[in-house]
Amino acid sequence: MSIATALPPKASTREFIRKGRPPTEDYRELLFELEAKGELEVQRVPEPYVEVETKYGRKKKIPLEFTWHHKSCGQCGHIPGYSTAIFWLNRQFNKDYHDPKDQSSCTAWNYYASSTSNSAAQASVAVRNFAQAKLDGYFPLIHCGTSYGHYKEVREEILHHQKLRDQVRKVMDRLKMPFVFPEEIVHYSEWVHVMADDIAKKQVLDFSNIRTTVHPACHYHKLVVEDAIYDRDLYDGQRTAIVSGLVKALGAEVADYSTWHDCCGFGFRHILVSRDFSRSFATIRKIERMKEEANPDVTLTHDTGCVTTLDKSQFSTQAHGRNVGIPVMSDAQFAALAMGAHPYKVCQLHWHGVDMKPLMEKMGIDHEKAWSEFEEVAGRLKENGTEFMTWEDADA
Amino acid sequence: MPNLPILVIGGGPAGLEAARGIADLGYNAILVDKAEFLGGTPISADYAAITPDMRNTEEAMNEMIEKVTDNPLVDIRLNTIVTASEGEAPNLNVTLKNGKGDEILHVGSIVVATGFQHFDPGKETQMYGYYEYDDVITLVDAERMLKAGDFVRPSNGKKPKQVCFIQCVGSRDRQIGNFWCSKVCCGIATKEAIEIRHLLPDCRVFVFYIDMRMYGFWEDELYWKAQEEYKVNFIRGIVTEITLRGDTVVVKGEDTTMGRPMEVPMDVVILSVGMEPSEGTKEMSNIFDIPLESHGFIETIGGALNTVETKVSGVFAAGATTGPADLEDSISTGGSAAMKSCAFVRKADLELA
Repeated sequence: MSIATALPPKASTREFIRKGRPPTEDYRELLFELEAKGELEVQRVPEPYVEVETKYGRKKKIPLEFTWHHKSCGQCGHIPGYSTAIFWLNRQFNKDYHDPKDQSSCTAWNYYASSTSNSAAQASVAVRNFAQAKLDGYFPLIHCGTSYGHYKEVREEILHHQKLRDQVRKVMDRLKMPFVFPEEIVHYSEWVHVMADDIAKKQVLDFSNIRTTVHPACHYHKLVVEDAIYDRDLYDGQRTAIVSGLVKALGAEVADYSTWHDCCGFGFRHILVSRDFSRSFATIRKIERMKEEANPDVTLTHDTGCVTTLDKSQFSTQAHGRNVGIPVMSDAQFAALAMGAHPYKVCQLHWHGVDMKPLMEKMGIDHEKAWSEFEEVAGRLKENGTEFMTWEDADA
Repeated sequence: MPNLPILVIGGGPAGLEAARGIADLGYNAILVDKAEFLGGTPISADYAAITPDMRNTEEAMNEMIEKVTDNPLVDIRLNTIVTASEGEAPNLNVTLKNGKGDEILHVGSIVVATGFQHFDPGKETQMYGYYEYDDVITLVDAERMLKAGDFVRPSNGKKPKQVCFIQCVGSRDRQIGNFWCSKVCCGIATKEAIEIRHLLPDCRVFVFYIDMRMYGFWEDELYWKAQEEYKVNFIRGIVTEITLRGDTVVVKGEDTTMGRPMEVPMDVVILSVGMEPSEGTKEMSNIFDIPLESHGFIETIGGALNTVETKVSGVFAAGATTGPADLEDSISTGGSAAMKSCAFVRKADLELA
C-alpha cells in the first residue's frame, strides 16, 4: 500500500453522519406524557417559530415573538446594556414581547454556591415564573445563562420525580396558579441566532474588518447538552453554533483559540466562593490565550456571568502589566451595534471595564459624538428628576 | 449425508471459522459477504498486526481464507447480501442479492457473523475534535499507517515527536448510551503504541486511560512489555477535550493519579474507538427476526454457557455480532456456531428419516 492512501482522511473530508437514536431521552415526549396524565400543562411554543437542530439531531422550536422576557439579575445589575440591547432588537423588528415586573430570580446562583434552597423550592420558583408567563399570555425567553441551565436541570428533576411534582403542585395550588412547564426552554441567544439573517439585513455598520473570538457559555452547551443548537455549517457541527452563527451572518471574522471550551472563570460557584481563582482563570486562561492566539478586536459571549467575568477581571490584571485588554460584550449588544443602536444609550458600553473606544472606531462609530449625546440625555434626566431613559430618548 | 446447506453470513474471522468448521464436519456451507473479498474488518480496515501476538494480519487472515477457498464443501458468494428470509429452520428460503439479481436458497440453518463497526467519534461532538483536526485520528487510521510502515503527522507528513492514545472513546460512556467495554481497545492501543515506538524510537508515546483492561496474557505480553521494553507512558486520566494551539493539538483533562489538571501538546492524538453493532448485524436481526439484547447486539439465549444460540431456532450468531469480541472470541464462537448449526441440521435430518 502506498503512503498516500495510508494517510488518514483530512478533517475537512471527514463527514459525520448521524445514525440511530439520540443517546438522550426526548424531554418533550416525557412532558407530553405527563400532560396526558393530567399532571401538568405544557405551554406550546407560539407561532411563528423557527426549528433548529440541536446537538443530537433533534429539532428545537425557537419562538420569534410573544416572548416573556425572564431577565437576569447580573445583567440588570452590572451590564444593563445587555438586556436593553435584547429589548431594542425586539423593538426594531416590531416583535410583540412582554417585559414582566413580577418575575422572580431563579435563585440558581445561590444554589450553585451551596448557599440556599432545596429541590422543591427551586422547582417551584421555576414553575411559578413559567406559570406567570402563561397567565400573561407569553412564552418564556430566558436572558440569563445560569437560569437557562438551571431550569433545564429542574426540568430533568420534574420529569423524573413524582414526589417533586407533588411538592410543586402543592405550592402552585396555594398560589392559585397552574402547574405549567414550557415545551422548550429557550435562551435569548437562540432567538438572536434564528434572527441573525434578519439582523444582517438591517445592518448599517460594516463589520468585515472586525475579528472576534467567541466564548460559548458552559450553562448553555455543557449543561443538559442535548438542548444546545448545533449547525453543520459551523465548525462542522462539532461546536455549538450559538453566537458564531450571528458573527458570520454579520460578516465579521470568528477567530479560533485553544481555550474556547474552557469556562470563562465565573464557574458554577467560584465567583462567589473563590473569586481570585475566577479572576485569574478568566484573564490567564481565556483572555491572554485569545490575545496570543487570535488577537481579536472583541470577544463575544452570551451569558451574564461570562460577560462580567471576562470583562471586569481584566482591570486588575492590566494593572499587573499582563497581556490583556480585549473588549467583551454580548451577542445582543454586537447585533444591536451592527443595526445602529446607540453605543451608550442602548448598549451602555460605558458600564464595561475594558476600553471600547478602539473597537468603536474600527466599527465606524463616532464615540465622542455618541458620548456627548448620552451626556445630554443624562443631564436632562438629572434636571427633570426622571429615573430612567425612555425608548424615545434612546432612539433620538 | 445431510441435504441442506448451512448459510454463513459474513466472511470475517468468525464467519470464516464457522464455514471451515461446517465443512470439516462434512456439511455444506454457503459463505456470503457483501464485500468483494473475504477477511472482514481486519482486511477492509487494513489492520497491520494481530493483537496480541503481533502476527501480520494479512498473512494470518489469508491462512484462514485459504481453508475455505480451497474447500469443495464451501460455496463462496462475494458482493452478495441477504435481503429476505421465509419459513423456519431447517426449511428456510433465504433470498440473496448480487449484481446478477436475486437468488433464493433453501438452507437448513444460519450462522450470522456480521460483526461490528468502529465507533464514530463524531457522535461525541466537540470533545475530541476528530472532525476538526487532521492530527486527531482513530485506532483504525493509525493501523492503516502502521501497515504501510510509515507513521506520520497527517497534517504535514512529518514524523511525530509526541503521540497519545485516548482510551474508551465510545465505550463505557453513559452519556452517549454505550454502556459496554469494547474489550479490545486497550490491547490494540498498547500494541500500536509498541509499533510506533518500534518504528519511531525518538517519539514519546502516552496512553490516557480510565483503567487498562488487559485480559489474560495481554497483561505481560503487551502491557508490561510496552512499559518496560518500549517505555510507553500510561497515564490514568480523563481527557475532557482536545483543542488546537498553533499547529499542535492540545490534550486537556485530569491526571487522576496526581489529582491535578493536565494540558499536554501532542503531534498526533489517536482515539481508541470502540465497537458498535454493525449495520449488517442490525439488518440480519430484522430479516431473521432475531431479538437484539439491550446494547443493540444480537441476543444469545444461553448466557455464558451458550454463546451462539439465538431465540430463533436454527439461527446462530458468532463473533462481534453478539457483543464486543477479540479475535480469540470470534474464532471460538465461529467454531461453536459451526458445531451447533451442524448438530441442528443433523437432528432435523434424523427426525425426517
